[in-house]
Amino acid sequence: MTAGNTVPGIVLDGVSKSFPGRTILDDFSLSVAPGELVALVGASGTGKTTLLNIVAGLEPPDRGSVRSGADGGRLGVVFQQPRLLDWVSARVNVELALKAAGLSPGDALPALAAVGLAGHADEHPSRLSGGQRQRVAVARAFAIEPEVVLLDEPFSALDELTARRLRLLLQDLWSRRSRAGLLVTHSPGEAVFLSDRVVVLSGSPARVAAEYRIDRPRPRSPEDPELFDLQRRIVSDLTRD
Amino acid sequence: MSAPVVTQIPPHADAQPEDAPRRRRGRGAAAAGAFVAILLGGWQIMAGTLDSVLVPGVPEIGTYVVHLATSTAFYSALGVTLLRVTLGFALAFVLGAAVGIAMGRSPLARRFFEPGVLIGLTVPGLVWALLCVIWFGVDLVNPVVAIALSAAPALSLSVYQGTRTIDAQLLEMAHVYRFPPGFRLRYLWLPSLAPALFAGARLGLSLAWKVIVLVEIFGMSSGVGYEINNEFAAQNVAGVLAWTVMFALVMAVLEYGLLQGAENRAGRWRKVARI
Repeated sequence: MTAGNTVPGIVLDGVSKSFPGRTILDDFSLSVAPGELVALVGASGTGKTTLLNIVAGLEPPDRGSVRSGADGGRLGVVFQQPRLLDWVSARVNVELALKAAGLSPGDALPALAAVGLAGHADEHPSRLSGGQRQRVAVARAFAIEPEVVLLDEPFSALDELTARRLRLLLQDLWSRRSRAGLLVTHSPGEAVFLSDRVVVLSGSPARVAAEYRIDRPRPRSPEDPELFDLQRRIVSDLTRD
Repeated sequence: MSAPVVTQIPPHADAQPEDAPRRRRGRGAAAAGAFVAILLGGWQIMAGTLDSVLVPGVPEIGTYVVHLATSTAFYSALGVTLLRVTLGFALAFVLGAAVGIAMGRSPLARRFFEPGVLIGLTVPGLVWALLCVIWFGVDLVNPVVAIALSAAPALSLSVYQGTRTIDAQLLEMAHVYRFPPGFRLRYLWLPSLAPALFAGARLGLSLAWKVIVLVEIFGMSSGVGYEINNEFAAQNVAGVLAWTVMFALVMAVLEYGLLQGAENRAGRWRKVARI
């Protein structure tokens, strides 16, 4: 396993991407240091998800290069929807990711236990609640000990209380090991609570409108007044147009 | 003559809450039974009116059916035919699933296979049967290839249509978690395609029954088709009908019993999920 400080992070260099009739990204560069979690916030349609898909290798960039610790290592992704296989149990869902990553399927149960689902491991996803399903997705992403974690609006489909619990859980999982991560979110509160740096994107093609470093030590509290202050500044950035 | 109807449990007077669906099922069975009764009655009236050796009455056919059901000749012929159908259908299933999935995954593969599937669908089973008899003679290859050629096109088409229902989000998930091809096939493609595979299997099997009988009539010296041809040569119409009825019964049992059972098992997760 790669030691924390040698994880290369994520580097996007001069990336361009357009879809018919629209340029999403033009000569866009961004780097995420090893061990850093960067949040991307911005209005809908600023290309945040496209950016994440490019890093995930789901879409090729038209120009530019993308390098990340996932190139030779492992990649964990939590999508907005859980994206579980409904025909197998929660445990098998995690086991498959482990086996595909060349790890022991025996790690599935501890991973599910870490998200508080030890008692539901053998249930099918459709028997679980929306929050529980998303927790299985989080367990799957972190079980494989990924070098890079991508989070695409991971909690936006959940009710606020469930989302809050899952953010605390994610903070805990994140702190256990050093890795690089990108978090796409609509919620400035979620961005400041979870990340080390918030990048505000705006316009089309997307450009970096503002950037905030968040140095509060973890574990953080969702009620931290300093975080709340940052959140207000990001909201004003987002609504400034 | 035994009626080809699945017997239903009649509604019980003491069963209270689930009474309505049971009664409905009972009525359904009665309707199906009525069809068979009318068919048999009509046949008997026709036979009586025509009074010809070419149209035997129901009791005569029934006697022959009972004779077949208690004879070893029927079961050995049936076994031979079932083996051929099983092998041919297995080949058709593998081919159809492979071609259908390829067509669903790549537009180029779709354009490539499309003419083959269309030609395959339009060529009558009789032609495949004749060609295979000419090419392969009495070898086991003959019925197996004939069945595969007849059933694979319909199966491919059904599987191809099924591939359009696959969740693109799950394919992305499998991509980012780098599922190997075996995982994708077993845990993503096959479960997603299960309904299409079963629909295709049903269609393919029904084509297989028809073709195997033709192949056995033209080119084999054993099996149900061969026996039907023998009865035909002996001008025993009751024999032809009795063999046909017995064969149809066995196939119906296989199709509704085995296939339905397998489909229920494959879809079990839905029920587990719904509880």
